[in-house]
Amino acid sequence: MAKFSSKKRRDVAIPQASTSDIAFLLLLFFMVTTVFVQEKKFWVERERWPFAESIERIPRNHTSTIYVMRDETILLDDIPTRIESSEDVFVSQTLIRKKAEDPELIVCFRTDRETKYGVMSDVMRQLQDANALVVAFETQPILKK
Amino acid sequence: MKIARKRKYRATIPTASTGDIAFLLIIFFMSTTRFDVKEGIKLVLPQAAESQEGKTKTLTLTEKEMTRFQIFPDGQIAVNREAPRYIDSEELDVIIQQKVQINPDMIFKVITDREAKYNDMIKVIDRLKAAKIEKISLSTS
Repeated sequence: MAKFSSKKRRDVAIPQASTSDIAFLLLLFFMVTTVFVQEKKFWVERERWPFAESIERIPRNHTSTIYVMRDETILLDDIPTRIESSEDVFVSQTLIRKKAEDPELIVCFRTDRETKYGVMSDVMRQLQDANALVVAFETQPILKK
Repeated sequence: MKIARKRKYRATIPTASTGDIAFLLIIFFMSTTRFDVKEGIKLVLPQAAESQEGKTKTLTLTEKEMTRFQIFPDGQIAVNREAPRYIDSEELDVIIQQKVQINPDMIFKVITDREAKYNDMIKVIDRLKAAKIEKISLSTS
């Protein structure tokens, strides 16, 4: 008499043991590669920026930010300075160097909206001297009621 | 007589859910991270006057070719030779539209007093940009 071979049921399983390792590796990768902005001497809060409607997005990789406070203190590269006379050329000197490093440089202004325009005018004149002509005034959107 | 067989208990920690926990953590960090995106009004400044020596020529522009917005320290705005007054955003839009209708290539010059607020200058530039004006000149009085 012939033998009937009994049908064996094979379990099909996808090994999941390593998914947690992969996920934790991803976590570690993002934790290690995240670069936080270094602490500034001072900061112009977003709430203090002027309001505008026609806002455009600015590519971050070519930007350099100048902070201007209400008391006319300027912060560039984490170095606070003031423009008291035409001999204060720190801004143009710094931007000449930055422009040489990145010809597509965009200078972003983070300025307190209550700042007097005179200091902005002085800074923009120095930008022209440094041939850094593309500027962006950072603004916050107008909240519509 | 029955002899009780020693049973070996296998102690295991259930690790099936660690993957879920890790992915939940990733999703949490991905959704709570806020990137510092830069948004604002972009402008291109003219070249410095010294670098353009010999290349420039003086032009005399009439009111049909150029509109002047003069911003005063108290926030009042004078349009061309009109008396300064407080102008809100809606009225600025109307003025800009009227000027563009007169001349579609109208140049807008924004003259801001050194003592005027930066916010007032941005308000005028914003309205000009909203009206898709490209020929904007910044100046200080």
